[in-house]
Amino acid sequence: MQVTSAEPLARDIDKRSRADARHDLIFHRLLKFCALLVLASLIGAALSTLWGGRAVLFGQGWHFLTNDAWNPVADDYGALAPIFGTLVTSLIAVVLAVPVSFGIALFLTEIAPTWMRGPVSAAIELLAGIPSIIYGMWGLFVFVPFMANIEPGLNDTLGQLPLVGKLFQGPPLGLGLLTAGIVLAVMILPFITSVMREVFLTVPTRLKESSYALGSTTWEVLWDIVLPYTRSAVIGGIILGLGRALGETMAVTFVLGNSYNITASLLMPGTSISSSIANEFNEAVGIHRSALIALGFLLFVVTFIVLLIARLLLRQLAKREGN
Amino acid sequence: MNDLADAAAAPVAGVEGRATKIKVRDVNFYYNRFHAIKGISMDVPEKQVTAIIGPSGCGKSTLLRMFNRIYAIYPKLEATGEIVLDGENILDPGYSMNRLRSKVGMVFQKPVPFPMTIFENVAYGIRHHEKLSKADMAIRVEQALRSAALWDEVKDKLKQNALGLSGGQQQRLCIARAIALKPEVLLLDEPTSALDPIATSRIEQLVAELKSEYTIVIVTHNMQQAARCSDLTAFMYLGELIESDQTEKIFTKPGKKQTEDYITGRFG
Repeated sequence: MQVTSAEPLARDIDKRSRADARHDLIFHRLLKFCALLVLASLIGAALSTLWGGRAVLFGQGWHFLTNDAWNPVADDYGALAPIFGTLVTSLIAVVLAVPVSFGIALFLTEIAPTWMRGPVSAAIELLAGIPSIIYGMWGLFVFVPFMANIEPGLNDTLGQLPLVGKLFQGPPLGLGLLTAGIVLAVMILPFITSVMREVFLTVPTRLKESSYALGSTTWEVLWDIVLPYTRSAVIGGIILGLGRALGETMAVTFVLGNSYNITASLLMPGTSISSSIANEFNEAVGIHRSALIALGFLLFVVTFIVLLIARLLLRQLAKREGN
Repeated sequence: MNDLADAAAAPVAGVEGRATKIKVRDVNFYYNRFHAIKGISMDVPEKQVTAIIGPSGCGKSTLLRMFNRIYAIYPKLEATGEIVLDGENILDPGYSMNRLRSKVGMVFQKPVPFPMTIFENVAYGIRHHEKLSKADMAIRVEQALRSAALWDEVKDKLKQNALGLSGGQQQRLCIARAIALKPEVLLLDEPTSALDPIATSRIEQLVAELKSEYTIVIVTHNMQQAARCSDLTAFMYLGELIESDQTEKIFTKPGKKQTEDYITGRFG
């Protein structure tokens, strides 16, 4: 069929463009809805925990945050011990997992022979898929007895050092903050590693070659060029791991010991926000229940503050580089 | 050994009155099993500009990358033959990589400033080879930036990130970074292919200035560039050196038919 005049064609185009505009609008709204849904569920969760914990949060105020007691019989609850346990175990996990992840990622992207890269990367991603209850059981049945065996040795060696010595003195229970931190480190390692591996692959070859051409060693290229180039993404990966460590429940509950203690020793049992909730939620009523929900709200706050600090740190670094 | 070198040197025309800085003798290069450089021999005269021209894939960049053994960072690449720099074979595994890279600087196709400040970009390489005081380092960085004709443009923003510079400035920064190590040889791998004509002519001017101090080898697919700024030109095709001679001669009376065809634009 041949077009005989411009008239009908122009009308068709008009119609078509009106339809296009309509489709675009629907598409935009759909996307916006998806994005807002995330925001709404986040705010919803925060508000409902705030509401559920109002009896304790508003009834006790700051006292709830600074009180280290947790006594369901006397209805005396304080969030200090769980917050302490959460932060300490997550910190141990990050301190242990980050260097190892860094090493694995660098090895896989820069040093490993090609045939090895695929299988090892796949294995790391599989590690990320293991449910946390499995880590918890492994921790309790395998790792806790192992730690109980080496803890006397820790007492005699690291425990004798000035300053940090106090951290490694205590009864060889096997359970405790250090054990939980190490199990958490194993859990978050695959996350941090795969993010780092992905971003290290994005560094342009010519950037690395330029550095080699100036006489740099492999280590210098990695430390001075690859790492600064990928820094914000690497820190993003660490934050992702940290976020997981802060909220991790099952693995920690199994090996942490569940006692409301604040001690200098990492070998002592402790508790974390999420493991307190998991342990006690079933039998909690009244104020006790409210205290647990309030703990849940505090986990939001703690995570938010940690993320905020990370962001500020990143901005500080960027400033120093002349950006 | 010497006989072999002499025999291989026979087809090579040097530039009179100039000492030879790099002697390439019967060099082969393999990517896995692909034979990329096939038995090349040539001389690179001291403090002159030697251009390597040829169509894409002829192996000109590969040859250049042998001069500082940058290929050695990748597995499964293999070089045979001899590249003699000041009387020593740099392809010998015993030749110190650190020494080689401080003697032979390289500038790449696209400008690649490091993700740090302008000052640090230049200081970075120096720091690897020498321990300098803060004041001495500042002097060395300034010298390098002046030699690269960049100082006046960046002296007030040394603390800013180098990625904020224009493409041509970035490339001159890369040249400054390379000459900051006080190398003897400067390798330029199509240094202007990503730049506009004005930035290109600045780099060419710079090359002309730098040759009083450095032996320069430049790879380019731009024949006018080779004609403009080199003293000696080598023409490569399919991994072989077709001929190398004084630039003037190559562009007016080439010795081989293939060279003539390429230069007159009949292929390439």
